[in-house]
Amino acid sequence: MARIELDAVTKQFPDGTTAVTSLDLAVGDGELLVLVGPSGCGKTTALRMIAGLEDVTSGTISIDGRPVNDVEPRHRDIAMVFQSYALYPHLSVYDNMAFSLKYRGGVSKAEIRQRVADAARILELEPYLQRRPRQLSGGQRQRVAMGRAIVRQPRAFLMDEPLSNLDAKLRVQMRAEIAQLQRALGTTTIYVTHDQTEAMTLGSRVAVISGGVLQQVAAPQELYRRPANLFVAGFIGSPPMNLIDARLEHGPVVAFGPHRLAVPPEVVREHPALERHLGGEVVLGIRPEHLHDAALIHDRGSWPVIELPIRLREELGSEVQLHGAIGSAAHVSEDGGADDVRSLATIVAKADPRTKIAEGETAALAVDAAEMQFFDRATGASIRR
Amino acid sequence: MAVPQIQLKRKITTGSLLILMVIVAVVMLYPFWYIVDNAFRGQAQYDRQSGHSLSGWRQLFANLPVAGQLLNSTVVCVAAIAIILVVSTTAGFAFAKLRYRGSGMIFLLVVSALMVPLQSILFPEFVNLSNVHLTNSYTGAVLVYAALGTPFATFLMATYYRGISDELIEAAVIDGLGYERTFLQIAIPLSLPAVATITVLQFIQIWDDLLVGLFFLPTSQRTITAGLATLSTGRTTSVPSLMAGSLISAIPAIIVYLIFQRHLVKGLTLGMGK
Repeated sequence: MARIELDAVTKQFPDGTTAVTSLDLAVGDGELLVLVGPSGCGKTTALRMIAGLEDVTSGTISIDGRPVNDVEPRHRDIAMVFQSYALYPHLSVYDNMAFSLKYRGGVSKAEIRQRVADAARILELEPYLQRRPRQLSGGQRQRVAMGRAIVRQPRAFLMDEPLSNLDAKLRVQMRAEIAQLQRALGTTTIYVTHDQTEAMTLGSRVAVISGGVLQQVAAPQELYRRPANLFVAGFIGSPPMNLIDARLEHGPVVAFGPHRLAVPPEVVREHPALERHLGGEVVLGIRPEHLHDAALIHDRGSWPVIELPIRLREELGSEVQLHGAIGSAAHVSEDGGADDVRSLATIVAKADPRTKIAEGETAALAVDAAEMQFFDRATGASIRR
Repeated sequence: MAVPQIQLKRKITTGSLLILMVIVAVVMLYPFWYIVDNAFRGQAQYDRQSGHSLSGWRQLFANLPVAGQLLNSTVVCVAAIAIILVVSTTAGFAFAKLRYRGSGMIFLLVVSALMVPLQSILFPEFVNLSNVHLTNSYTGAVLVYAALGTPFATFLMATYYRGISDELIEAAVIDGLGYERTFLQIAIPLSLPAVATITVLQFIQIWDDLLVGLFFLPTSQRTITAGLATLSTGRTTSVPSLMAGSLISAIPAIIVYLIFQRHLVKGLTLGMGK
């Protein structure tokens, strides 16, 4: 187990592209930290720098307090699970798992056999030890890749989108298995994914990266409930948070299009910085689950209601997603700021499946105003303190 | 109505293809049959085109040190192919998997050597090797063959290694191997099909080559191909003995092909990734 720290780590490629900019990150001993962000955001580059597969342009990477910038990958004592699994096709499952121990030396043959047998038992790979990778299913190959990492008993695991090649059902199953395995082994793990659901369910903390810049690192619930900026608000959650260009008027009241919502006192208390934006433009954030069919809300008096024409109704079984048209929605740029390029201005509500609201109707949606979020239109930062 | 018409059309297409393939096969195999048939005749039988005997073989062995020349061909082939394989596998791996300044330009230079025909560099090579006293020995011929075969082999190996996932190489590096042992333990076993292809192609090319053998080797170290060429330099040429020599000369190439053919198209990288 190990503590991994990144101090102002930057990666610039020879063509001038900056993949990672001044990344500060600390991964605790035994922690599972997830790096999440859209494709090309620099999360894999960050992981590869930790592995030693990419040179660091500036900054310091430390493992257990020891800088490792100039340490060869093989001497960092870390194991990596790749997106493609990277199994050696000419070797059996057993030899794939035993490969590193055999070539590193210092471990007896009996010990290697024992460690492979233990890992194979945990991962239910015992019947396949003599098979070649091409004779295995995708899920089994993924387990072999995990097994190859486990048998080494490294100080840390680095996982680069290890589930992205699996089908949806298997991905959910393997996600749970990885989480259980990591907890059982207690090995420090950095897990890279572009799937925010995977990030939220797996990570004890999640680091959101965009455009090579760390946007926020926090526990999943904290990320969800208190996103640091527009990018995090729009990236975390499915469907994403509704982000609406609005005006903050005295009262305080938030106004967008023909709609005016009073900001409850508890929200004002939690967001003292709102006062500085009174009379100015802000971005209002409302999660889809905080918009309800007003007809199904018994205590309608306490929640403000907005009326919207419904463009689309999507049946998902446990919920109904209603897409309503509004005046203007905020578009989130890569650096977390807001710009107005999105023409299709809709907001999505996760409604109770019993709702009778149909496409083409004007629906009354009750807003759980206590859950409203506010962001600075210029910087994209959350307006809190 | 439509179904029988489609079936008829399919039968005509299949039949036409079959006839075409038979014609191609006859064109390809007839010279080989001609060699086999005429190798077992005497000169008079060849002129009459009737009767068979071993007199062509007797004449061949009387006029040519066949065993010695086969050995010479083998020595030159094995040594040249060994050099080609060592250089092309290491260079191909470096071009495909290592990042360093100017690698693209160097690769282009190596590949551009493919465009240079043997005939155009034969005399300069001869002069160069004469200056360092490497003509009239195996060494000169081996070096020339290696120099001629390496660009294509390097191109083939680099292309093959580019098809091997970078993640596989990186996995080995993280597993503790370093690039040198990754090359030996991972890249080489995975590139056996490409190695087999190079071996077969280069063997056939070097074994059958006449010019380098004639220019760079002394009479005592002549290859079988160069030796056979001397059979027809007299006023009369014994076609049956030439055919017998050609038959003997073709056998090693066929054996090499049969040994390596199963590796030629074998996709060892199957199952490497998802």
